[in-house]
Amino acid sequence: MNDLYTLASGTPNRPRFNCRVPLENSRQLFLVDGLVQETGKSFSFRLQKGQVMEELLQVIAVRSDEGPNELTYSNELFFGENTFGRLLCCAHAFTQGPVSTQETVSIQLEANAQAEIIVMQHEHNEATHKTRFVVNQAAGSQLKMVFLSLHGASIENNIEVNLQGEHANCDLSGLYLADGQQRIANHLRLFHHVPDCQSSQLFKGILDDEAVGHFSGKITVVPDAQRTDAFQANHNLLLSQQARIHTDPQLEIYADDVKCSHGATVGRLQPEELFYLRSRGIPKKEAELLQQLAFAYAVLEKIPNEILRERMMEMVEKRLRGGC
Amino acid sequence: MLRINDLHASIGDKEILKGINLTVRPGEVHAIMGPNGSGKSTLSAVLAGKDTFTVTSGEVRYQDEDLLALSPEERSWRGIFLGFQYPTEIPGVTNVNFMKTALNEHRKYQGLPPITAAEFLKLMRQKMEIVEMDPAFSSRGVNVGFSGGEKKRNEIFQMAMLEPKLAILDETDSGLDVDALRIVATGVNRLKRPDNATLVITHYQRLLDYIVPDVVHILYKGRIIKTAGKELALEVEQRGYDWLIKEL
Repeated sequence: MNDLYTLASGTPNRPRFNCRVPLENSRQLFLVDGLVQETGKSFSFRLQKGQVMEELLQVIAVRSDEGPNELTYSNELFFGENTFGRLLCCAHAFTQGPVSTQETVSIQLEANAQAEIIVMQHEHNEATHKTRFVVNQAAGSQLKMVFLSLHGASIENNIEVNLQGEHANCDLSGLYLADGQQRIANHLRLFHHVPDCQSSQLFKGILDDEAVGHFSGKITVVPDAQRTDAFQANHNLLLSQQARIHTDPQLEIYADDVKCSHGATVGRLQPEELFYLRSRGIPKKEAELLQQLAFAYAVLEKIPNEILRERMMEMVEKRLRGGC
Repeated sequence: MLRINDLHASIGDKEILKGINLTVRPGEVHAIMGPNGSGKSTLSAVLAGKDTFTVTSGEVRYQDEDLLALSPEERSWRGIFLGFQYPTEIPGVTNVNFMKTALNEHRKYQGLPPITAAEFLKLMRQKMEIVEMDPAFSSRGVNVGFSGGEKKRNEIFQMAMLEPKLAILDETDSGLDVDALRIVATGVNRLKRPDNATLVITHYQRLLDYIVPDVVHILYKGRIIKTAGKELALEVEQRGYDWLIKEL
């Protein structure tokens, strides 16, 4: 058993914070201002060779009033050879007023490791959160990550993935919702360093009011990385005249036997769909909400755990209804 | 039930309906026939409240209300149902969720509490049987990946769920093979009641072999140029529309 399990399975003090996504059959770990609540140390998650996690580990990072206004911290997620692990990483801010967080998350998957990581970013209107994810994947490893950026003054995700071993598979998807004057950016860099790897990126956003979004995604396939299969898509729904999205998909391919595709769209709610829904008695506002949920669903359905998926759908619905 | 007086409607600068007059009473089935471009689909869209068309003059009374003043959803709650010629695909919204939301909005309007999940599933199964629809469709996205016939069955299924007072079926027969046509028409006939009415809009007579109309109207260039009994449909089938146009 590693440190983490000892920590999470002990009988810690009741956390001071109520989690917004309480899940049955999951272990919870609180990071308060970047440090593990029970130990005061920085967070490091390690699964040793062959370990299989049966439960979901929920890591709840909160900003408290006692922390500095500007906080920087890093943590590490390590999945050894032939391991399987599932994490839900939530970020919340239980503070008044502006706070900014800079976080670095290193994710290492050794040979044939399998990991599912859901990242939920749900702070408040004066919280700035910038995260750099650095992912390295060895041969045959499989990573599935879903990013849900639901609330924050400014959220920025810089995601770098290095596929370093053959037959590694990386599936990234993201849903971002922004309104008011919120800012949300996702910058992805995906490197196919070796042959026979697969990668997929599906990022979708709904922007309202004066929100501004950025998406840039670059897939680099080095000369020897033959038989690469890479996919990237960024789709956006703008609900107001003022909302903006800047999207910049890029492919940089130096190998000749590859399958790569990318696409980006920016659109509005389809009036034909809206009329169809209304003609059946669904009021305009409700019909528009259904359309937005339908748009978001392609990302939410990537969440493997059904209970978690339903919780997340509820949260997204609540958010789209104007709550938080 | 429905009274249309001198209805004019345009899309942009182009006038499509040029003075429609039509009265439908409870229990009646009316067929509206006409060549392509005569305004049949525009008429159905205007009655359902589609805002791409502008009503420039005239009025539509429905159960003693000004129909044109109501939003599409308000019309639906009052019993208007449009069966679409080209049903819209809505990826991500399941048929179950769609119909449950719609039905509960109708119930809310009628002052009823939301239907329970068990009751809803039972009702849905019953109504799917009417159009011989595979229950597997209920968990799929609305009309997504449905064949032409399946989409039309889905329209009649929705009609069965919402039990409209006035159903407007816009070219429900288009794109259907004989079997699908029979299933759809049987569905419509099973939903017929003395207190509801149906407006069947069709290009061809063949649907009227199954859904027998009380009155047939011929629409041409935005006006109803002839109204008669069901024998008119047969005459059109044999002689086409030209003789009617020449009579003008």
